[in-house]
Formats: sequence, structure tokens, C-alpha cells
Amino acid sequence: MIRTARQIGRAMAGLILLLLAGCATVQPWDRDILAEKKMSFNPSPMLQAIDDHIYFSKEASMGGIDAGGGGCGCN
Amino acid sequence: MRLQLEPAKPASALRDILHTAALALLLVPGAAKAADTDPTDRIDFTTLLYGEQSRTQIFEPVVRFTHLMSDGQWVSGQLGIDVITGSSPTGALPSGIVQTRTSASGRTITSPAGQIPMAPFKDRRVSLDGQWQRPWGRLVSSTLGGHFSREKDYQSFGVDGKFSTDLMHRLLNITIGGGVSRDSVFPVGGTPAGLSAGTIIHTGSNAKNVSNVLLGASRILSRVWMVSVNGTRTFESGYLTEPYKLITVENRVTGAPVSSLTDKRPSTRDRSSVLLSSVYHLTDDVVYTSYRYYWDTWNVRSHTIDLKYRRVLDADTYVEPLLRYYQQSSASFYTVGLIQGAPLPEYGTSDYRLGKLRTITVGGTFGFRAGDVPGSFTVRGQYMRQAGDGSPPNAIGIQRNFDLSPSISIFSAVVGYTFDY
Repeated sequence: MIRTARQIGRAMAGLILLLLAGCATVQPWDRDILAEKKMSFNPSPMLQAIDDHIYFSKEASMGGIDAGGGGCGCN
Repeated sequence: MRLQLEPAKPASALRDILHTAALALLLVPGAAKAADTDPTDRIDFTTLLYGEQSRTQIFEPVVRFTHLMSDGQWVSGQLGIDVITGSSPTGALPSGIVQTRTSASGRTITSPAGQIPMAPFKDRRVSLDGQWQRPWGRLVSSTLGGHFSREKDYQSFGVDGKFSTDLMHRLLNITIGGGVSRDSVFPVGGTPAGLSAGTIIHTGSNAKNVSNVLLGASRILSRVWMVSVNGTRTFESGYLTEPYKLITVENRVTGAPVSSLTDKRPSTRDRSSVLLSSVYHLTDDVVYTSYRYYWDTWNVRSHTIDLKYRRVLDADTYVEPLLRYYQQSSASFYTVGLIQGAPLPEYGTSDYRLGKLRTITVGGTFGFRAGDVPGSFTVRGQYMRQAGDGSPPNAIGIQRNFDLSPSISIFSAVVGYTFDY
């Protein structure tokens, strides 16, 4: 278990380093598409919140895009 | 009507002042807003209709109000109400004969022969959420939030916060956050002792504390592509048992149910997750993909893959098919039943949600504007199919003849409306 956690931690640290070290450069005037609302990791927060609530009540997992607390006696 | 027949009362000076003040409060923002060009407020309504085949039904309207300020700050408040009815599996095993038991609220429940025993329930949950986001200069922002929710046997109160900063000419964004929640569990009929025949040990509430931390990084990789990685750790302690779930004690040879014991789970649980996400823009359309790996100290491991494709039809209209696949392993103390006469384990549950499980979700969202009606609409339909291990290798006797975890079909529909003004 601890070994798995360490492996995942190392993998995540590696990914963050990869993101930091990436050489891609996008100039500010080239970010018109990225500025669109649909270019978001969570373009529909209320739909996402409803989904999170459903899956939290039907499955054993949680976590992902946000650091919300408990808040439901459904599981 | 009776009020109309009464003589008019002379207006007091105080009432006049209050009346004028109330009118001013209503009219001044409206007049100021009329002069504005950009909307500064938003109202979101969503309503969820959720139905499991022969099990739970949920109706959940949610309304959120967001106020944007001129300096980039915003505050939001949200109210949600869940109305839940139906039934859920008790965790007990089926039998070749009709089974009868008494629920926590004193009702007699009958389960047909050969079917998973179910317990009817009804609940209403009210939740309040608030958030405040504030920029600190051009590159840093903070978000503070709070939530409160209450249902028949559960209450939750929590706060959370996060800081985000842009780095490397805003190509990289780092987010650090966390939250704490102080919850209370007060089971209907009292709290039963774990792994007992239902002996009530007290009728008060049980504390459950949840705290979590988040570390995230998102990176612009090109004009049309962004990726992110998020890691979360959640620490739970206190009363984590499901007080209404049961475990069947079965005959060691025939597998016939002999009696049932209550559920008992450890009082701590540390959960971890890593989420990898990508947003990629095609000519007009957008592809969203994510993968999450989850693990916890109850030995549950899960993989989740989520795919969405937003097909943009015009500036205001899109369709977005979605596909999600989820798979989990069982908790270390999950068991389909306990053998009569065998020593009791330290912990045990037959809650299928802690067993081996697979969920497949397909659906789609349609976003549009309706003629001259201000605001935008979203309509989403989803079908979920959840399947556990219906024939576990340790099933004995008659239990081998039954489907111990029948697949569940779940339909849900969400209607949303967003209005900026």
C-alpha cells in the first residue's frame, strides 16, 4: 500500500516536472482559443457537481478536480 | 380576504421609513444596472431527475446566484434540495424462502424468495454552499468556500479554500487547497453496535471528521491543448459505518441465512487520488479526456476514464456525447456473508458499493438558446449500468443459485438554465 502510494507520488512528481520543463511556448496573442469558456477543465461546474454527488453515493471512490469535504450521508 | 375587510391602519413614521428604504434597496441596483453594459450577476438553475430501476428516485432542484465585482472578485451562494424516495439493498443475502425483518423505524419488511432484501427509505436533504474568489494582483487568486447540509440522519458543516498562481508567462498554473468538514451521524432508531444483532448502544449523534488537501498543476501545451494533473488526499475519522446495512450469517453447508449482523467499518480512512486531464480543441469542437486512479486504506483501488466530445453547431448550440468507465476492487473487509459458528472478523460489510464493482455511463448534453428568451439552456440525459460480482467464488450452498449483485440500470436527466443580467 505504502509502496503503491510512493510510486504514485513519484509518478505525479514526474508529471509535474514534465509540465514545468515543457518547452512549448504560446504567446499571449495566440491564446484566443484557450480563453474560450469551453476550453476549461470544468466548463459546466454545476453539472460536474451533480455527477460527483451521484458517483460518490454509488461508488467507493472520490476526489479529482476539487478538494471538497464530506457533506452527504449517502455513502 | 379578512385583511381587506379591516379598516386601514394609520401608517407610522417608522413604517414609512422602512418602506422607503426597502424600495430604495430594490430600485437603486436596478437603476445602476440599467446603465451598465456588462452583466454583473448570474443565476443558474438546475434540476436533477434520477431513477434507479426498482430502487431509489431523486428529485434535486439547485439554484445558484453569482455576483461579479468590478475588481475581479466574485461571490456565490447556492441552495439545493434533494428529495429521495425508494429502497436500497440491506446487504443481506437472498434466501429460498420469504424473509421478514423489522427496520430501524419499526416497520416490517418482507423480501420475496430468491431476491436481494431491500429496505424502503425516504429522506430530504437541504444544502447551502457559498464561495468567494478574490484575485491578488494579475497572477494569484484565492477561493474560500463553506457548506452546510442537513438530512434526517446526517449533518455536515465545512469550509475549504485554495490558492492558484500562474507561472512561466502564464503557461503553468499551480493550485494548492484544502478543506475540513465536521459531520454528525444520528441514525434513525439509534446507533447499533457493530457486528451485533442490532443492539442499540446510544441514541445521540456520532462525529465524523473529514479533511483534505489538493495539489494541482495545469499547463498550456499549444494554442489548442491544455493538460492538468491533480492529486488529492482525504483523511476521514470517526463514525464511518453505514448503520442500516446488514451482513447475513449463513449456514456453513447450505448457505441458508440464519441471522443477520450489523455493518462495522474501521474508524479511519485515508483516501488518495490522482487525476490526469486534457482539453483539446479541434477546428471548432473540443475533446475532454481524463483518467483518475484512486486508492485508500480500506484497500479499495479504482480506475475511472471519462471522455466527452463537444460538437459545436453554432455560437450558442452544441451537443456533447459522454462516456465514462469505472472499475473498483473490493474493500479488504467486504464479505458476501459470515459463516455460522466461525469467529467474527474485526470489521465487516456486505454493502455492494464496497465490493468489486463496474460502472459504465453513456449520455449526452445539449446546450442551446431558445429564440429571444434571455440566457442559455442545457439538457442532459444519462444512462448508467452498474454491475458487481454476482457469483463470488466464496458463495456457498444455495447462494450459488442466486445473482448476489444484480446489475442496476440508472437513468438521470438534468435541465439547466443560466441567465446573466
